[in-house]
Amino acid sequence: MKRSFFGFIKPRLTYEAIADTQAEPAYVQVSEKIRLLLDQPAEHAAEIVLSVGDHVKSGQRIQTADDAGEYELSSKSGNITDIVPYLGMMQKRMTAVTIAVDPESAQTPDETFKQESPAPTLESAARFLQGLPGKPDFSPFFDPGKLIKAIVVLGVERDLMAVTNQYFIKTGIESIKTGIDVLRKITGIHNVVLAVPEHLVQVAGASGAGVKTVDSEYPASHPQLIVRHILADEMKSGDLSAPADVAFFSAEAVSAMGAAFNTGQLPLNKLLTFISKDGNKRLACAPIGTPLKDILEAFNETVQDADRIIFGGPMTGTAVYSIDEPVQPDTDMIMIQDRSQIPESADIACINCGECVRVCPVNVPVNILVRLLEAEKYEAAASEAELDACIECGLCTYVCESRIPIFQHIKLAKHTLERMKAEESNA
Amino acid sequence: MPEPFKLTVSHAPFRHNGSRISIKNYNILAATLLAVIPGLLVYGGAALSVVTLSVSTAMIWELVMNYLTRRPYSIGDGNAALMGMLFAMMLPATTPWWVVVVGTFFTIVIGKQIYGGLGGNPFHPAVLAMAVLMLSWGGYFDFNAALVDYQFDFNPVYPLVLVKSFGSGAVEGFSAIDLLLGRQVGGIGTFCGLGLVIGGVYLMLRGYIRWEISCSFIAGILVTAFLFHHANPEAYAGAGFHLLTGYSLFGAFYLATEDSSSPVNFIPMLIYGALGGFLTVLIRNIGAYVDGVVFAILLINLTNPLIDKIRPKTLRKVINYA
Repeated sequence: MKRSFFGFIKPRLTYEAIADTQAEPAYVQVSEKIRLLLDQPAEHAAEIVLSVGDHVKSGQRIQTADDAGEYELSSKSGNITDIVPYLGMMQKRMTAVTIAVDPESAQTPDETFKQESPAPTLESAARFLQGLPGKPDFSPFFDPGKLIKAIVVLGVERDLMAVTNQYFIKTGIESIKTGIDVLRKITGIHNVVLAVPEHLVQVAGASGAGVKTVDSEYPASHPQLIVRHILADEMKSGDLSAPADVAFFSAEAVSAMGAAFNTGQLPLNKLLTFISKDGNKRLACAPIGTPLKDILEAFNETVQDADRIIFGGPMTGTAVYSIDEPVQPDTDMIMIQDRSQIPESADIACINCGECVRVCPVNVPVNILVRLLEAEKYEAAASEAELDACIECGLCTYVCESRIPIFQHIKLAKHTLERMKAEESNA
Repeated sequence: MPEPFKLTVSHAPFRHNGSRISIKNYNILAATLLAVIPGLLVYGGAALSVVTLSVSTAMIWELVMNYLTRRPYSIGDGNAALMGMLFAMMLPATTPWWVVVVGTFFTIVIGKQIYGGLGGNPFHPAVLAMAVLMLSWGGYFDFNAALVDYQFDFNPVYPLVLVKSFGSGAVEGFSAIDLLLGRQVGGIGTFCGLGLVIGGVYLMLRGYIRWEISCSFIAGILVTAFLFHHANPEAYAGAGFHLLTGYSLFGAFYLATEDSSSPVNFIPMLIYGALGGFLTVLIRNIGAYVDGVVFAILLINLTNPLIDKIRPKTLRKVINYA
C-alpha cells in the first residue's frame, strides 16, 4: 500500500480477490443486546409505534409512526430497553433502539411478511426488505423523476480489502440467480447486469444475468464508474439514455431478497469482512445490530486507547468512537488499526505537487479545490472547482504529500452546501 | 456508560502512501550533491563556504520568518535548506559573503515567506533572488571576472559569453563530452552536466520532479537552438552546446520543476516546459543577457496560473445512487 519506488508510476491500489481457500464465516453470537439505528430524528422517537418494554419478534419492522418512513428490521426477538437520540455522521440526527435479546430457544419470528406477501411485489419489497443485509434500496423505482431501465448487481466490493460480496458470488450463485429472477419479476426490468471481478466471471455465468467484468484497480467498482465504463456500449446504442436509468443492488442484498421471497423468512445475518490489527482477514456472520464488542470478543481482538476501529473500508469507511456501535445492514467490513499504524495528517498548506490531480479518477482539479475549501468558499468550490463531480474515493488524500485531510474538507463542503440549500428552500 | 478507553476517530481514508514533503526535499537535496561535489572539488574551500553559508542562512531566514509571523517552525521540511542549496549552485565560487546572505534573504523572505510560505510562492524563490541580484550587482555574476584567479586546464572563458560575443566559431574548441563532464567555468553546481543529468533522472524516476516539465524544457531548448543554428550557423551555436552550457540542465531539472510555481496537468506541463526552453534560447541568442534561464523561468512562472487552466473535462456526477 506504500508509494512505489518509481514514483512516476501512478499508485495502483487493487481490490482484494477472494481466496480459493477462504474459510467459512464465523458465526457471531449476540451476548445480550442488539441496537438498531433508525434514520429518523430523535423528536419522532416519541411517536415510535413501539415503546420501551414492548416485545418485538425477529424480522419485525422497527419504525416511526410515519408508515412510509425509514425502518430497520429487528434481527432478534426481545424486549425494547431503550430508545434514545443518536448522532450519526455530520451530525445526522437518528434514533437508537436497544433490544434485550431473548434466549436462542425462545426466538420467535415475525410472520407479517409471510402473510402479507404471498407473491413477490415491488411494494412488499419496499415495505419489508429495505432492512435486509446489503441494504437494498427500492426508492429509485418509486421516484417519479426516474425511469429505471437497467439493474446492476454489484458482485464487487465497495472498498479495498473486503471480500464480502465476492463470497456470495463464489459460494451462493444459485441464491443470486433466485434473487435476480425475483428482481426481474417485481420490477419488470429484464436488463440485469452482474458486475464481477475477472476471477469470478466463470462462476457468475450461472446467474442468468449479463455478466460484466470490473477492473481490479481501485476505484473501478464505484457505481458511477461502473455505469461509465461497463455500460458505455448500451448508453451509446441508446438502450440507456442517461446513467440515471440504472439501479444498484449489492450481491448480498440480491441473495437475501431471493431467500426472503422464496422461504417467507427474512435473512437477518450480515456477512462482513473482519480485518484484525495484524492484517488477518476473516469473514464473520453477525445478526444486524450486533454490538462491535461481541465481534471483537468472537475474534479475540483486544483494543486499547488510541486504536482506531473502522466500519467500512480503509478508503471510505467511518471511524467509530465506541465499541457499542452496532453492525448495520450495509457494514461490509470492520477493520481494526493499532495506534502505531495510524498515519498522521497535518495542517501544512498545499504545495501544489499535483499528485491528487493526476490520481483523481474523475479529473477534479483538486489543487484548486482544496484552496477554496480551506478558505471555506464552498459555493465557489462548487461552481469553479467541480466539487459536485467528486465521487468520494479518497485517493487524493491517500497520496497527499502535505497530508491534508482533503476528503474531510470535501465531505464538510458538500454537507454545508446541502444544508444551505435546505435552509433556502425552507425560507 | 463511560467507555473503558478512547478510540482514535478521524475521517477517511485511513491509509496513506507514506509520502511527505520532507522526504521529497531531502531526496532532491541528495540529488543536487551529485552536481555540487564536482564544484567543491574544482573550486575548493571558496565554493564550500558559499554553499554552507547559503544553506545555513536560508534556514536561519526561514526560522526568523516563522518566528515573526508566528507560524509553526518549518525548517524541518527541508525546503529552506533546498532553496539555499539551489541558490548557491548558481553562484560563482568567489561570491562575497554579503551577496550570499542578501540572496538567501530574497530567496526565503521575499521569494517564499511573504506569500505565506511553501506552496504560496508564485515564482521559484531561488530564481527570484538570482534575478534580483543579477540586476543589482551584476558584476559579481560575470563568471570570467569572478573566476579569474583560478587556473584551469581548459578554456577558462564562460562559453555563453564567447558565443554571444564572437559567434559559434569561437566555441568550436568545446566538445560536447568536455561540456558534459564539466570542463567549463560556471556556477558551483551548474557546470557539471553529468551530475545534473544523473540527479535529474533519479528524481524523475522517483517522481519527485515531474518528467513532463524537465523533458519538454530540454526539448524546447534543443528545437529552438537547432532552428537558430540552422538559420545562421555562424552566429548561433548548436543545440547541444546550448543544452550543456549555462544553467540549462540545472534549470530543466531543478528550477522549472518547483512544485508551487509550475502547472500540474499534463498538457500545461508540456507547454510550460517547452516555453521555458524556447525563451531561454531566445534570450541567449537575441536578448541582452548572456544566459536566459533565470528570466525564462520567471516568465514561465508567470504563465503558470493561466496555462494550468487547460485541463481534462471532469466526469460529471450523473446519477444518484443509494
